[in-house]
Amino acid sequence: MTVENAHIHAAFDRDLETIQAEVMKMGGMVETAIAEATKALELRDEDRAEQVVANDLQIDALELQIDEEVARVIALRQPIATDLRTVLTVMKISANLERVGDYAKNISKRTSALVEMQPIEGAAGALRRQAKAVELMLRDALDAYIRRDVDLAHDVRIRDREVDQMYNSLFREFLTHMMEDPRNITACMHLHFIAKNIERMGDHVTAVAEQVIYLVTGDLPFDDRPKADDTAGIGGPKG
Amino acid sequence: MYDTRNAERDVTQNEIKMSARKCQVFYGDKQAIIDVDIDVEDKMVTAFIGPSGCGKSTFLRVLNRMNDTIPIARVEGAITLDGEDIYDPRVDPVQLRARVGMVFQKPNPFPKSIYDNVAYGPRIHGLATGKAEMDAIVEKSLRRAALWDEVKDRLQEPGTGLSGGQQQRLCIARAVATEPEVLLMDEPCSALDPIATSQVEELIDELRESYSVVIVTHSMQQAARVSQKTAFFHLGYLVEYGETGQIFTNPRDERTESYISGRIG
Repeated sequence: MTVENAHIHAAFDRDLETIQAEVMKMGGMVETAIAEATKALELRDEDRAEQVVANDLQIDALELQIDEEVARVIALRQPIATDLRTVLTVMKISANLERVGDYAKNISKRTSALVEMQPIEGAAGALRRQAKAVELMLRDALDAYIRRDVDLAHDVRIRDREVDQMYNSLFREFLTHMMEDPRNITACMHLHFIAKNIERMGDHVTAVAEQVIYLVTGDLPFDDRPKADDTAGIGGPKG
Repeated sequence: MYDTRNAERDVTQNEIKMSARKCQVFYGDKQAIIDVDIDVEDKMVTAFIGPSGCGKSTFLRVLNRMNDTIPIARVEGAITLDGEDIYDPRVDPVQLRARVGMVFQKPNPFPKSIYDNVAYGPRIHGLATGKAEMDAIVEKSLRRAALWDEVKDRLQEPGTGLSGGQQQRLCIARAVATEPEVLLMDEPCSALDPIATSQVEELIDELRESYSVVIVTHSMQQAARVSQKTAFFHLGYLVEYGETGQIFTNPRDERTESYISGRIG
């Protein structure tokens, strides 16, 4: 349950609005990082990739700033009930966003290495589609946060399964390329890490959506959400 | 996923010490308490919170018939202590108040010595048969109130000469001297500084070992710190009653939320 009424201390409202605005700004920067990182990969654009790496510093700085402001609000205002859940979720969401930003940065670093190699046909486009799915999940998770929309947050949570499935098929595809021609191994290793990074981004975005559910209802969803990353068993005894 | 949660949050196991059903309190024509149902558990601190005039102090005073002293006050409904109706005409309110003790907002020691302040209750209830026994009761009560070490060398000095925090602990010692089963506290820390407040709060936590404690407080943080269950009163109604952690992280009622988080309701 959330309450929309204003606080008697108007400054408390301003503090809460400020940290929430900052976390949304951070979310926007991370959305851009995902899009730019995969665009750089597809276009083999090293400058664009370097820009993503540089921008990640700002995302990290924003996370620190949010942490400091949250600590200040806790110390000075002793938030409780919805206010408490607001500051707790802001902290967790910013930590998750920071991780997504790191993955985008890692993709960009690998892109700088990949431009030196023979392209793997179809890989960049497939990764771009996988990343697009995550980007849309993130956009919806942030919208769900702003609108306090539990249904949309649940929807985001479910959609992570599609990202997992895309990762599975990419895993198999890269494996095939490597078996066909060992000269593809270095590039495919990088591409595989990128696919895994995007899959992990999806998990962090899912965590953001779960924080929205906690913020609104006071409970975290604790049913097992559907997962489809089954690559842990590939190549094993039943391979 | 729930098995790692703090065991202190498990608050439904204790026996019910006092309960109210359909409690109504009137001051003349004005109704101050409306249809309150509540179970106060044994060996637990229950906090009553709510804005001024919401009826929380009135309801606290229902629990040991302090409203009897107000001529225009009238109480209806069933109020029980260990299942027995405390408003039964055969119940002696003085005996009841020995079982259900009270500590007030302002420390109010009698203008007597520290010793006599504590000995007063046991003396009128005939709980001690000799000086040695009374000395033991006084020492035990002062120790329970975490005051013994500070006053043991000056028991004959007036209680009014102590500091505010010490006076309040003296009043707590006086209240526990009759071995009550329930201790009612009406804003016991509102006249105390933060250090004395912490001492009294620590004491409340220790008293929970032996008694059922009900505390009325205006400080949300105090309710959160000392109580296991919290009851929110508003306009004479008991709006929400639940485990304190739940009330302060996820209240079910919007009025509770507005009040505890300092919003314009």
